[in-house]
Amino acid sequence: MITKAKINEFIKKIPPKSEILRSTIMLLNQGELIKAAKVATEDLALSAYLRDLVNKPIYGFANEVNEVSQIFGILGVERSQQSVYNYMINLLSPKNWHFFKLNKTSFSHLQAELSTSWHKILNHLEIKDKEIQNSITLLPSSIIISEALFCDKKDDVELLRSASDIDLNTILKRLCGMDLFDIAQVIATKWEMDPTISKIIQASSGIKPSEDEQINKLGKWMHLLLFYTLSKPTYIEAGLNDFIEFQIDYVDDIYEDFATLMEIQ
Amino acid sequence: MRAIIKDGVGVFHPQGFLDGASSTSILSIDDIEATLKANAGMILVSLSKVIFFNRNGLDAFVKMFHKVREKNHTTVGFCDYDQKKYDAIMKFYKDELFFSLFETQEIATLFASNYSNQTKNVLVYSDDKSQRAAMAIELHDNGHNPIVVQTKEEFKAKSANEDAYDVIISNTYLGQMGQSIATRVTGNAIIYTVSSFLDADIGNTFNIEYHNNSLNVGFRLFIFDAYKVISMNIHALNFFSKLASSAAEYNATICFVGLSFDKTPISFKETLEDSGIMFFEQMDDILQNKELLDELGGTSTANIKNKRALNKEIVSKLPNFIGATVQTIEMMTNAKAIKETANVHQIDIGDKENKVASSIGFYGDIDGMVMLVFPLEIAKKACELLIGETTDDQELILDTLAELVNIVGGKVKTLLGDAHISVDITLPRTYKDINGFLEIASNKKGVQVDLSFNNDSFVFFLTR
Repeated sequence: MITKAKINEFIKKIPPKSEILRSTIMLLNQGELIKAAKVATEDLALSAYLRDLVNKPIYGFANEVNEVSQIFGILGVERSQQSVYNYMINLLSPKNWHFFKLNKTSFSHLQAELSTSWHKILNHLEIKDKEIQNSITLLPSSIIISEALFCDKKDDVELLRSASDIDLNTILKRLCGMDLFDIAQVIATKWEMDPTISKIIQASSGIKPSEDEQINKLGKWMHLLLFYTLSKPTYIEAGLNDFIEFQIDYVDDIYEDFATLMEIQ
Repeated sequence: MRAIIKDGVGVFHPQGFLDGASSTSILSIDDIEATLKANAGMILVSLSKVIFFNRNGLDAFVKMFHKVREKNHTTVGFCDYDQKKYDAIMKFYKDELFFSLFETQEIATLFASNYSNQTKNVLVYSDDKSQRAAMAIELHDNGHNPIVVQTKEEFKAKSANEDAYDVIISNTYLGQMGQSIATRVTGNAIIYTVSSFLDADIGNTFNIEYHNNSLNVGFRLFIFDAYKVISMNIHALNFFSKLASSAAEYNATICFVGLSFDKTPISFKETLEDSGIMFFEQMDDILQNKELLDELGGTSTANIKNKRALNKEIVSKLPNFIGATVQTIEMMTNAKAIKETANVHQIDIGDKENKVASSIGFYGDIDGMVMLVFPLEIAKKACELLIGETTDDQELILDTLAELVNIVGGKVKTLLGDAHISVDITLPRTYKDINGFLEIASNKKGVQVDLSFNNDSFVFFLTR
């Protein structure tokens, strides 16, 4: 169904980080918001993405924000960098989705929802680390990978699931010995993302807890956030709710805290 | 979301957060329709991967339970919950609890007449006296050994000694239990569960087409699980006598297990015995007795009544059947199939060593049977994806093989449906012994396609 060769082919097709993106991220890292905005403006697609993203209702700005320098100014260093990473992940998304009922708009909406909630969680946990802020951006790549690998296997997956409660991650692991999160890690490495990001993403799979206490804790919050978000009707209808298996025991000890923060009643 | 049906139990596995908005998205009208059509004796919703739910979130499933009960009279309920979830459900549905609550799927299975397990020693406690009694009766009827405790203190004391019991039941509630004719396969016997009063209605509720196709596929042992039958009348007697006569033409055996003659005239038993029907007190009297099982046809397939010819209509659909089989095996093994030869003749397997076989029937607009002969290694490889590990446990391989063949059947059904041909499929039958398989297959003419997967030969045979 899926072979290692198909995974390698997918990885091979991932473009390297462009010079503009590399410079934008570096300047943001140095806190040079104006210089970063100037470089980012050279990439028209990036500018358009940022404008579209920041004007989504979830960001709650009263007036339309148009200039990249304005956007970076409003978002601040961490969230600006996060948005650029979201853009990079978005570059991998397909023109037409076949396996999941998604499109460019709904996918970027999902990215925005995850990013704003992650920001809220990190504020609650009093974590300011930039790389940890950015880590959420890699999570939706697992959805893109699933789409890319399973897009023409929808019927097969449905038949397999009629016999067994099996998720895409497990299917992939059993067939190729590599799961969605391993592939996400390869992407992160290719794009020279900080290793912490990959570690948190691996922990957020819920099946590979980290030995590092803080990374494991963040993995739990991210795993729970993912399922909180994917339990919304739009994403259930998109077929995202069960693309990986929810590890309820893994998040048990943080659930009460999460429910209070997200005001779940 | 669709229920996964295994051993006659259909289970939904929602995950994450269940509220009014999400649950209606999880369970569409089509999903409910598919559940109503499913041939399951029990429909459950597992809460093992649900971290949060409210009443609105459960209501969508409870509405489905209502529909399933109303149409099929099967047992419905939630399972796999902890104390907190149990208390919440009890609070939400306090006075309207028609469905059941099973702490785990394993516990639910004890009430689903599943004889694939040995008789269990079950410690039972409920603070409701009538529940305690109901559970004890159901467990006993299903061949288990319930040990009922009357007080919480006694339960605490006894349950502390976990090793003394196979299963401990406390947070479980029995709602309305099943009454339909559920069907399941244990080994290669088909078990029908009948209950209550058997009268002329049995002719309507029993799926005779399904039964006949099961005979055609090669099932030779049919057991009526009749522990819960209160009595039968003359109309039911005539029905079973006719069923026995038609089974005799296939050299098949029909048995009744657990039927009490307290309220049924004992003369009925003699009449049924004269028709060839056999009676046993316990299911294990048959299923645990390998010699008897062989004798009754649980492993044999001799003497096929009708040798029907292949027709043009079926042969014209051959690519659909081959496509479904090849795609499924390729999907499960991650190996490419190469078609070697295709001929119309009687099946020719060649080397019979280290091979297993399976067959599945289809009926409806067209009817026939797909037979597959696997090298054991391919069967093992194909099953790895479902099992998650390599195994040499032959029973587990055959069970999983049945699921795999069921997937092939499902795929055939879909492909034919796309061509506007409506068919239903029988339960798959597996054969660990190729000689047993050949008893049913060797005198049939069909299309044989030899395929090769990683240099292992694989036989596909389409016949009627």
